Amino acid sequence: MKILVVDNVSIGVGEKIVLKNVSMSIDRNEVLFLLGPNGAGKSTLLRALVGFPGYNVVSGRIYFEGEDITDSLMEVRVAKGLALAHQLPPKLLGVKVRQLLDALCRKNKCDVYEIANDLGILHLLDREFGKGFSGGELKRVEVAVLLAQKPKLALIDEPDSGVDVDSIEIVARAIKKLVDISPYKSAIIVTHSALISRYIEPTKVCILMSGTMKICNSRDLIDEVFRHGFRELA
Amino acid sequence: MGLENWLKEVEARAREGLSRASPYGVDVDVKPFLEVKEGRPSLDELRVKEVGVDLGARAIYTQVDQLYFKYLSRIPGVEVMRIEDFVESYLDEAKDYVWKLVDPGKDKYTAVAALKGRGGYFIRVKENTKVEEPIMACLFMSVGGLQAPHNVVIVEKGAEATVYTGCTIAPEVIGLHVGISEFYVNENAVLRFVMVHSWNKVSHVRPRTAVYVKPNGKYISYYVNLSKVKTLQTYPVVYLSDNAYTYLASVVLGVEDSYIDVGSAANIDGENASAEIISRSLARDSAKIIARASITAKNGKGHIDCRGLMLSDKAAIRTIPELYALTPNAILTHEASIGRLAEDEINYLVSKGFTKEEAIAILLRGFVSVEVKGLPQKVREYIETIEKLTVEKSM
Repeated sequence: MKILVVDNVSIGVGEKIVLKNVSMSIDRNEVLFLLGPNGAGKSTLLRALVGFPGYNVVSGRIYFEGEDITDSLMEVRVAKGLALAHQLPPKLLGVKVRQLLDALCRKNKCDVYEIANDLGILHLLDREFGKGFSGGELKRVEVAVLLAQKPKLALIDEPDSGVDVDSIEIVARAIKKLVDISPYKSAIIVTHSALISRYIEPTKVCILMSGTMKICNSRDLIDEVFRHGFRELA
Repeated sequence: MGLENWLKEVEARAREGLSRASPYGVDVDVKPFLEVKEGRPSLDELRVKEVGVDLGARAIYTQVDQLYFKYLSRIPGVEVMRIEDFVESYLDEAKDYVWKLVDPGKDKYTAVAALKGRGGYFIRVKENTKVEEPIMACLFMSVGGLQAPHNVVIVEKGAEATVYTGCTIAPEVIGLHVGISEFYVNENAVLRFVMVHSWNKVSHVRPRTAVYVKPNGKYISYYVNLSKVKTLQTYPVVYLSDNAYTYLASVVLGVEDSYIDVGSAANIDGENASAEIISRSLARDSAKIIARASITAKNGKGHIDCRGLMLSDKAAIRTIPELYALTPNAILTHEASIGRLAEDEINYLVSKGFTKEEAIAILLRGFVSVEVKGLPQKVREYIETIEKLTVEKSM
């Protein structure tokens, strides 16, 4: 049984249809890289998969662990084990990083210190969430939150954008750990530069362009993208 | 000048203010509150605990209505007494501190306090005395009418202390509370002042506060209103000398039909002094809140951060931040915002596995969490409890 199946899904945001007839799936022990140029609809797809309000499935179905979750609320999908690491998490006035991690670790039985130490964010624990963070710090905190969620399947949006090399390495290590401890040992990672592929090997690569899924293939597809670029590939 | 003449002079100044309305807040007719109410004043210990007062503190002043209840200090270097006792025992000194920063004729409320007020605390922290535990003050209204204590705090050179005042009232009791507070922070001294208000839907509250901070002194204040009140208006002012610093934080919750007008003002007279004013307003039901903040400076730095959170379609919040630079040497900034809780932030937290209710509570808690540095652990714990209570009452 596939863990997640996206079956011919079209997604509307407001009045606009952003994704058309997209299909893909992820199995156990798969790390799927979702590639595509800016504006292709990658983040929209991840948000729609997790059920983020405002991202509406207008046609097609989404299945998680064999169950149709197309009409389920985000709360339900997250409770089932889906989790989204946001590309740009919001600033949360007055909310300390520690508070969020504490609350999640109380729910999910994890160790805040261990997570913060792994992500190199011990110095950020008593800072306001997102306030004055560098791009790298923001990503590291977001991935720390993802680790504290202990999801069955993580959907990770652009972990390598706007990030210094050191941070990418730390973030990649944490994602690997997350994959290792997750029950299915799988993840979906969105990237437009594929920088993260230097640290994490995908098992499957899909390319999304202009709101449609162009191709899903093996890891070698990434080399094709590096060689020819998205435009030529299209 | 003897005591009698001095009192007469204060009275004369007060009479000039009797018909003077305050430029801020709802104008309250004070006459009905001047009649002595029937009933025996009594302290509701559970209620005062709700505003964080520890009646077992080693230094404490307790007042019920217009009657002083008890005061004591078992902390070396800390004097606590009733204001009348201070004036009678140390008249010459008292004349330098009582009705010096606040004019008894400023408005009808100061006038009423000067003419009819009773009690209030005098606290002195002696030179170089550093006090870890909070000095407590409890002002409780049990039968209503007028409660107008006059409080004076003197923190002598190099001394450091935290004064915690909890003010509350019995349910359904109609009262007017006018607390006059004059605080003096001497050279290299630190005063941290925490005031927690929890009134009822028929009470009117008009505190009048002024603080004088001498060179290198620090005045840190944290004010919270966490319950119903009919009308509340206060606009404390802090005068800063050379290298002095003030941090004035207020968290104000407006519920039901409360009309609240709360501000903080800093006057930077000295060189290199600085002031920070932080205000958080939360308006529920049909509450109206005006959040004022003002920094006037010849020199030094000042920053105002005013934020309002609208929790109902019928509530209203207005923020009025004011900056007055009197020379080019003053660097003054402000930021202000009013709005509802951001849907995106709620959704972000829901995507992290919190329910919508939990997400709202986390964001509200964040909104009311104002960092006040240097508070004793005990006081931090009270504030945490009060933050939780404020969040519960906001939801």
